[in-house]
Amino acid sequence: MEQAASRPLARKAKRNRTEFWMLLPSVVVLAAITIFPFFFMIYASFMDYRLDMDHPRFAGIDNWKNTFTDETFWQSWGRTIVYAGGGLIIQLLLGTGIALLLYFIPKFRNLLSTLFMLPVFVAPIVTGLLWRFLLDPTYGFYHWIVQRLGFDVQILGDPTLAMIAVIFMDVWEWTPLVTLIVLAGLQTVPEEPLEAADVDGANAWQKIFYVMLPMIRRMIVVALLVRSMDILRYVDTIVITTEGGPADATKTIGYYLMQVAFRFQDIGSAAAVGLTMLIVSTLMGRFFIKVLKAEEA
Amino acid sequence: MRIRKNLAYAAIYALILLCLIWALSPILLMVSSSFKTQVNMFEMPPKLFFAPSFESYEEMFFGRGDFPKFLRNSLVVSILTTAVCLLLGVMGGFGLARGNFRREKDISFWIISTRMAPIPAVILPLYLIFSKLGLIGTTTGLILAYTTFNLPFALWMMATFFKDVPADLEEAAMIDGCSKFRAFWRVVVPTAAPGIIATAVLCLMFSWNDYLFASIFTNRSTQTIPIAVSLLVSQSGIKWGQAMATGTVIITPMLICGLLVRKYMVRGLSMGAVK
Repeated sequence: MEQAASRPLARKAKRNRTEFWMLLPSVVVLAAITIFPFFFMIYASFMDYRLDMDHPRFAGIDNWKNTFTDETFWQSWGRTIVYAGGGLIIQLLLGTGIALLLYFIPKFRNLLSTLFMLPVFVAPIVTGLLWRFLLDPTYGFYHWIVQRLGFDVQILGDPTLAMIAVIFMDVWEWTPLVTLIVLAGLQTVPEEPLEAADVDGANAWQKIFYVMLPMIRRMIVVALLVRSMDILRYVDTIVITTEGGPADATKTIGYYLMQVAFRFQDIGSAAAVGLTMLIVSTLMGRFFIKVLKAEEA
Repeated sequence: MRIRKNLAYAAIYALILLCLIWALSPILLMVSSSFKTQVNMFEMPPKLFFAPSFESYEEMFFGRGDFPKFLRNSLVVSILTTAVCLLLGVMGGFGLARGNFRREKDISFWIISTRMAPIPAVILPLYLIFSKLGLIGTTTGLILAYTTFNLPFALWMMATFFKDVPADLEEAAMIDGCSKFRAFWRVVVPTAAPGIIATAVLCLMFSWNDYLFASIFTNRSTQTIPIAVSLLVSQSGIKWGQAMATGTVIITPMLICGLLVRKYMVRGLSMGAVK
């Protein structure tokens, strides 16, 4: 009896040993390049630390106090919310709409969705370059179209329009990903509820809103989370097009951090800013895991 | 009724076509501009048919911009990063998928939040540590920096792919006398090969496409191609011809690789949430 109970345990331990040794190198490497820097950043946030300093001095909570009382810090977070919120809403609506279009066509769905996917592979820095080319006031094609329509504006030179432009760069590059995630979800919707809706005399819109969209709710949340984490990760398009301008209109929190760290060389404050970003992205990661696990259960 | 249905289809196809034009015209415009002379690059509206010119590419490869160096650096860094992360990720991913560890949830959470950490917040502490260790400006430094996001990605993705391989498969091999590791190597790895290739392609893409890490961690001799883009743009006046050619060189290999593993692309880009 005792033997029978202990055998699976023993086997389990034995089974785990190989797995343990296989996972260990990755964990060690990852810890060295992420956990150590993370604690180093916490340490730096309590130091008076300039880039040219060999021996930073302890500064208490000065950096945190300065950061939290700095208007630019809050404004940058505010702009980040506008940038991310605006971009996410537009690409979610557009992406879901296009996924539905692709779902309903009888032919060429694979070919068309593959072609539509191409912007996803473009390096963000090249996306910025492309849009800068399109919006250039002397040479840009989109600028030329806008002018033809009767508006004489420099899109990247106007604070509001520049923000809209950087939002649309992200929308252009990543709407296809939302489309493909949602389309993958739509393709798993079973036939029966749709047929039942047909029998009840539902029209296409009713089927979309009352049957299909509720069934793929999880996929839409996945798309939203994946995109919101990435929108916080990258600043490339802003670096190459507006450099945070004009008049700081596109200075998001990531760009602000780069500026504090590498232009003003105030490492201590930059570390405090970085930690606020990490807190936000970690919370989103936690939520992402929850959504994934909810499906498995 | 039939006519109405056909009309609806026609409208849907027309809308999709419109979306495709929106998505693809910037890419087409960049690629076609890279084959135009400086003069007809700026004709409005842009011409779709023209006599191709290789002016920009000649200038890029043989001019003073040192482009071949950028290209070589990019290749070396991306390939080495991918190799390191794949080796660790394939083994670790299997461990993660099959092992039964205490605090496994915390490990997964740690891995995914590392992958999702905002790049500026990762760059800062790494910069401080790398400058103490003399790694700024070195290829090793950049590879280590890319490992911070590619290793968790490879681990996570490989774990999801290995979970799709039934455990019976390696258990059968073990009954035949293989060790666990041998069963993994001989049976599980070949079965999960498409997933491994897809993960490799995405690791390659994430390193190849990176700009921000490279802008901080490289110097004149280790700069990668995305840096070439920013140099062409920020120097007094923009060299559009070369910039378009450089952009084309950056995206072409990724478009090809991406299309080759198209089936797994969405899965990879959604961190395995879409199967």
